Amino acid sequence: MLNSKTEALGIIFPNSYDAMVPDLVSERLMASIPFASRYRMCDFILSSMVHSGIDNISIIVRKNYHSLLDHLGAGREWDLVRKNGGLNIVPPFAQKQVKVFEGRIEALESLRGYLLKQPQKYVIMTDANIAINFDFNELLDAHIKSGADVTMMYRKQEIPKAFIRQSRDRMDLYYALGMNGDRVSKIYINPTEEGEMNFSMNIYVVEREFLIHMIDDAYVHGHTYFVRDLLDKQIDRLDIRGFCYDGYVVNIHDTQSYFEENMRLLQEENLNALFSPNQIYTKIRDDNPTRYINGSKAKNVMVADGCVIEGEVENSVLFRGVHVGKGAKVKNCVLMQDTVVEDNASVEYVITDKNVRVTEGKSLTGNESYQVYVSKGQVV
Amino acid sequence: MAKELVAMLLAGGQGSRLYALTQKLAKPAVPFGGKYRIIDFPLSNCVNSGIDTVGILTQYQPFVLNEYIGNGQPWDLDRLYGGVHVLPPYQKASGSDWYKGTANAIYQNIAFIERYDPQYVIILSGDQICKQDYSDFLEFHKQKGAEFSVAVMEVPWEDASRFGLMVADEDDKITEFQEKPKEPKSNLASMGIYIFNWDILKKYLIEDEADPTSENDFGNNIIPNLLRDGRKMYAYHFNGYWKDVGTIPSLWEANMEVLDPEHSGINLFDENWKIYSRNSGMTGHRIGENAVLDNCLITDGCNIKGTVRHSILFSGVTVEEGAIVEDAVVMGHSMIKAGAVVRHCIIAENATIEEDAVVGAKPKGEGIGEVATIAADVTIGKGAKIGPSAMIYEDVKEGEEQC
Repeated sequence: MLNSKTEALGIIFPNSYDAMVPDLVSERLMASIPFASRYRMCDFILSSMVHSGIDNISIIVRKNYHSLLDHLGAGREWDLVRKNGGLNIVPPFAQKQVKVFEGRIEALESLRGYLLKQPQKYVIMTDANIAINFDFNELLDAHIKSGADVTMMYRKQEIPKAFIRQSRDRMDLYYALGMNGDRVSKIYINPTEEGEMNFSMNIYVVEREFLIHMIDDAYVHGHTYFVRDLLDKQIDRLDIRGFCYDGYVVNIHDTQSYFEENMRLLQEENLNALFSPNQIYTKIRDDNPTRYINGSKAKNVMVADGCVIEGEVENSVLFRGVHVGKGAKVKNCVLMQDTVVEDNASVEYVITDKNVRVTEGKSLTGNESYQVYVSKGQVV
Repeated sequence: MAKELVAMLLAGGQGSRLYALTQKLAKPAVPFGGKYRIIDFPLSNCVNSGIDTVGILTQYQPFVLNEYIGNGQPWDLDRLYGGVHVLPPYQKASGSDWYKGTANAIYQNIAFIERYDPQYVIILSGDQICKQDYSDFLEFHKQKGAEFSVAVMEVPWEDASRFGLMVADEDDKITEFQEKPKEPKSNLASMGIYIFNWDILKKYLIEDEADPTSENDFGNNIIPNLLRDGRKMYAYHFNGYWKDVGTIPSLWEANMEVLDPEHSGINLFDENWKIYSRNSGMTGHRIGENAVLDNCLITDGCNIKGTVRHSILFSGVTVEEGAIVEDAVVMGHSMIKAGAVVRHCIIAENATIEEDAVVGAKPKGEGIGEVATIAADVTIGKGAKIGPSAMIYEDVKEGEEQC
């Protein structure tokens, strides 16, 4: 086979777990959260899929998708401008749906007509709150080899505290898998146990026709959630397998984890792990190279193009177009695009969203366990 | 539908005075300013000036340039009608020929220009660093009712005899053209950027081609012929930054001037006149624990653990612990290993400077002095010494000295 282009199509749910990062998604959604100095969260899944030969990718958006549309455009930067397949952004269908969908099943229902017509045999579904550099063919091969109905990707790890600590009135669902060999024998819904579990990454492979059959069936029964209402209910009837992922993974589930995942990339081995083997594509901004001038000091930082550094920066991640003025100090910070830290201002343990301005001489300090978050466009 | 103005960009030059840098690529494809290539400047100028049809005339080592231009998308020149087109010499029913001169290159592509039925044609040069609004130039050309206009720079009188000079009256009408004269009558140097009325240009190209003694060159043939016939010729004064980066020292100097936009006049940080390029797509650059950075430009994908002063590092350059980079231009993906010292030099793409090797030196006297140059893909062995005037084309073995 020359390539696997006809084997699988991708479906991304860009709004999953939005509610857990309310600050970061106030004017966007999970998939378009800026990450790692010049990327958006969705770039990692998209690039991984494209490098795996998947060039038919649907993104089922739910709300706040303005910034995602702006980021993706026609998909050119991901090589997804294709006559057949390519990038397919699916907004909610107002006439058909009385309210915006809640779970995967309703979302997939809106894609049903499209799914029916696609040539690919398999479907790979993912969320966008994780960043991986992964060859999806590994997952697909395992799925085909096992002959399973559904294969779920998981990772051996503790359940992040943020999931367990969710407020009772707005709970996002998360899952752990009970494994028997490579068979999934039990699905734990919102488990609260401590210690390592088989934490579901919400990445699934399923045959396209079987998926259509499943959602048809589930939709008429008024089901909403793919795992809770469908896989879990039929766990004895279906052949559900697990695929254990042990590569580098970024998982964003609250503001703290957003901060820590950025910081983790300051360690070279982590950066190399996330950005290899394949390049991660993103939107091009045509910034000039970054200038270090006027006695600037930089120590252990990751900085994108287009910045001007005149002050001191340490242990920080700076996105494109950030300006750090003379005498300014930036320590343990994540500064998103076009943040300006004016002369003699100082920020420590701060996350600034896009276009924030910290005015001359001002000081903002958070701490290791709680970072000050400054929302988009604010002037401090 | 006719285009008002079509640009023809002369990019066929070998740039032989860039020696090691233009072994495998044409001069317009030479990297510049951290993430650009020289040709990004005229191309970005075109698109920023509202010109959407550009023909690029190539013939020397075209692969890098062709791949770089691609469909023109990075410059927003991927258009349904117009856009950017690479124009190499090609076979015709009546035979084929290399481009014999600048005028002949345009002559051979008359059919390309005719497709757009333009009123004006602007001839650009692919080997200059310059930010210029060509629409101002065209406006001047129209106001004067000119048939030919040339962009000129005032140069110091003592340097004037190195240039092609336009002698003009107080209305900017050109009365005489002097090519590198011993006794200059003017200090208005031609920048090699011309606007022609297309009907006039076409007429003179055909006439020039019919003349077997002609060198088929704009400066030597076309312009003198226009003058002979008393055509309406005007000199357009340009006072921005302009640099012909035809030599190693001038290329090095222009890069160093990028580091000092406040004084040099070349500002790549101007949001209103962006220079576009094909991006590397690498992650943000990394600065290590013990790195020292002073007055430098660092591009995506760099990994800096050593000392970098007054230098430009292109994308993906590695500077290991204890290495020193000073007054240097280090092009994409090159590696400066631990303890190596590179000074006052240009290091082309994918070169490796092994541990404790020394490349170049600060010149003793005033002025730019000599600039050591390392060609692309070359490895300089451990502890090797490369003198300040060296031009290195091939690998240098461990411990060896070259000057």
